[in-house]
Amino acid sequence: MSVNVSQLQYSEQRLPAKALRRRQLAVGVWLYLALIAIGTVMTGTFILAFVASLKVDPLERPFRLGFDQVNPAAWFAAAGLGEQGAGAPWWGGFAPGARVTFNATYAAPTNVTIEEPKAEIPRRRPGSGIAAALTRDYAADYASIMLKDVRSGTMSVRDDDGGRTEVWQTRTFTYEIAYDPDRRDGPTIERTPLNLTAPRSQSLVDSTLSPSRTERRGRLLSWDNITPGALGLIFNNYRRVINETADLQTGKSLFGNWLVNSFVIAVGRVVLTLIVASLAGYALARLKLIGARFFFAAMLFSMTIPAQVTFVSNYLIFRDLSLLNTPWSVIVVVVVSAHVLLMKQFFEGFPKEIEEAAIVDGANRFQVFWRIVLPNAKPALMVNAILAFQGAWNDFFWPFVLITSPPSSLTIQVGLLSLRRSFGGAQADWGLVLAGAFISIVPVVILFVLFQRYIISNQINEGIK
Amino acid sequence: MPQVRKSEEISGWLFMLPFAISMMLFFVYAIVRTAYFSVTDFDLFQAPTFVGLSNYLTLLSDPLFLTALGNTIGFSLVVTTAQTILALLLSVLVNQAVRGKGFVRTVFYLPCIMSSAAMTLIFLWLFQRDGLITGFVQFLVNYRLYVLLFLACLAFAQGALVLNASRKYDGISNVDPFFLLIALTVAIGATILSAFWQPLPIYEETFLISWLNTQQRFLFMPTTLWSVAMMNIFTTMPTLMLLFLAGLQSIPHALYEAAEIDGANAFQRFRYITVPALRPVTFAVVTMGIIGTLQMFDQVAILGDAAPLSSRITLAYYIFENAFPAGASSRIGVASAAALILGALTIAVVYVQKIIGVKERLD
Repeated sequence: MSVNVSQLQYSEQRLPAKALRRRQLAVGVWLYLALIAIGTVMTGTFILAFVASLKVDPLERPFRLGFDQVNPAAWFAAAGLGEQGAGAPWWGGFAPGARVTFNATYAAPTNVTIEEPKAEIPRRRPGSGIAAALTRDYAADYASIMLKDVRSGTMSVRDDDGGRTEVWQTRTFTYEIAYDPDRRDGPTIERTPLNLTAPRSQSLVDSTLSPSRTERRGRLLSWDNITPGALGLIFNNYRRVINETADLQTGKSLFGNWLVNSFVIAVGRVVLTLIVASLAGYALARLKLIGARFFFAAMLFSMTIPAQVTFVSNYLIFRDLSLLNTPWSVIVVVVVSAHVLLMKQFFEGFPKEIEEAAIVDGANRFQVFWRIVLPNAKPALMVNAILAFQGAWNDFFWPFVLITSPPSSLTIQVGLLSLRRSFGGAQADWGLVLAGAFISIVPVVILFVLFQRYIISNQINEGIK
Repeated sequence: MPQVRKSEEISGWLFMLPFAISMMLFFVYAIVRTAYFSVTDFDLFQAPTFVGLSNYLTLLSDPLFLTALGNTIGFSLVVTTAQTILALLLSVLVNQAVRGKGFVRTVFYLPCIMSSAAMTLIFLWLFQRDGLITGFVQFLVNYRLYVLLFLACLAFAQGALVLNASRKYDGISNVDPFFLLIALTVAIGATILSAFWQPLPIYEETFLISWLNTQQRFLFMPTTLWSVAMMNIFTTMPTLMLLFLAGLQSIPHALYEAAEIDGANAFQRFRYITVPALRPVTFAVVTMGIIGTLQMFDQVAILGDAAPLSSRITLAYYIFENAFPAGASSRIGVASAAALILGALTIAVVYVQKIIGVKERLD
């Protein structure tokens, strides 16, 4: 029995202090691991989406993280090609006098002869939809391609299953793509497509730029643009979304129009909000007026009622005033209750004595407001301006209802919907859709980076009240 | 003095004027007109004719309306509950961190400033039939044996460590954090090793999953709306987390210390100190959640023909769809009746929620 008792005592030992401290540390490690994991999921989604927005095909499977658009070596190659094509290392092109050198290396087992691929500059329409209809100049009409040089070599290839290394033969074909010397007055063309067709027994192992896609089970390799320039390579989808959403009549970029419209509406909304909210906020905070309680209740009410309840009447008002499809309708239609509340709270905290002194000196209410109160309300006006801009820029419903035609008068958010419709459907050109989405968030991201503190602290205050 | 009083009244009204006009015209008048339209037959062009309550009866017999109502309530319930709970837990987690709180705040806030249109497009891309989410599911399915291997290693290592230590010491928890850390390292190491050596088969199944373009339902909601709900939770949770975080920082630390001395464990401290202290914030968060989710519209509109109407329709979209139907004449009466129901539903839910909130605070 005595053995048992001693065993029992032995097993009741508590953990030594050192081990306990280790446990505390471990809890901390777990905490940060969890935060990193959550943060990765939250931001990772956006980073992956951004990376995908650079790709030729964002839906490719498996999802690769290494491709030309994120590979510095390819950036330099693209800059070189852009320089040769149009003397434009950034955005590339194909201009009179151009001589572009392009390499493609094929490999095959030693018992297979590597044939010279059939090379051509195809008459391919860039992109789709309206852009295709607007394209008049094709590189195919001005370019000639010839084989300049062939070099042979070898490379070692790892076998898939056995892990054995085999020696394969390679041949590098060097092409020169030249702008027709007789067409000195020809146009500068944005893109130079290229097709290489070779038997399936040989495979492409290296080329100055990676092909945009492979067709016919790897026989046809096609490049959308072999003279992209560095930025033209990386931000191809971004350039396309601006160029290819063109207006059929004017040929101008719709996407650019949408951005301008959104900007005009957002600025208009900011100005109007500041005027209306500061005046009403001051009246509610300082002046006794009959009906103030009614307005206060209506304000709270209007912040809970969805816009879908009031939009038919508002639509009719603007229709009767013939203001539909103008920025004015979207600027004016929003009732800025939340902003009035914010201003009211700020003014209530403003010392009354200063105003009373001014009134005793003979100033009227408006002078007091304009000369004394407003200059001191800059922080509150700032918060209101930021929130109003963000709200107006991100607003989808009102522009969706009040501005429907012509396509050039839409705002960017509704424009994104039309992007989705024209490129995200059966077309599945998700590069354009994602690029559009990322361009559309640039202004609010800039605003956020500049005025982070204002935005976050206000959000928190609002929630607590 | 009455002179001053009167001039104050007049200048007050002058100050209020712009806001008063906007409020009366675009809100009060609009609601009155909606109520009027709801008892008329109106197509935006011919003058409205009075039809009594028949629009409401039409609604009740319209299966699409009932679907929309069900979808809206289901969506609101799922999103509000999930985002509130997740935001609360996450805020407690972030609050524990000594360093990096500001960084976490900035990083988490980014999804909140983006427009719903841009967000929805990014999520549409993620949820394509051959998109990244499908790819992830496929990866898990194909490597299922390795996932099991990882879990088995983790459980085995933890079990062995705990068993070994509890022979010597007392009070070793099954999820002892230090041992769990070691077990995790072992499990990750074992999985990586086995990935090189590949003792287990890797399946090569390729499949497509229709997350959006499907008529399928899961529990009480279409699959499409579950996907949208996931996105909404993801995008709203960070803001709500920040609200909770601000609330947490105002709880006096002494409360926790006292509870700890009294022997309360972490869960009890959370249950009996954190949750009650955060009640006002929780009510604000829930109210914001309800108002936001009941009027969910943008996501549905941007989904558009990427999903069948009945699997994505919400009340807000039903109203719009009736007011501006594609290729048919407007049914403003029906739309207005539905709009009033949506408004009443919102007010009712917020009001009930407020009553409960006040009651709880009195208790």
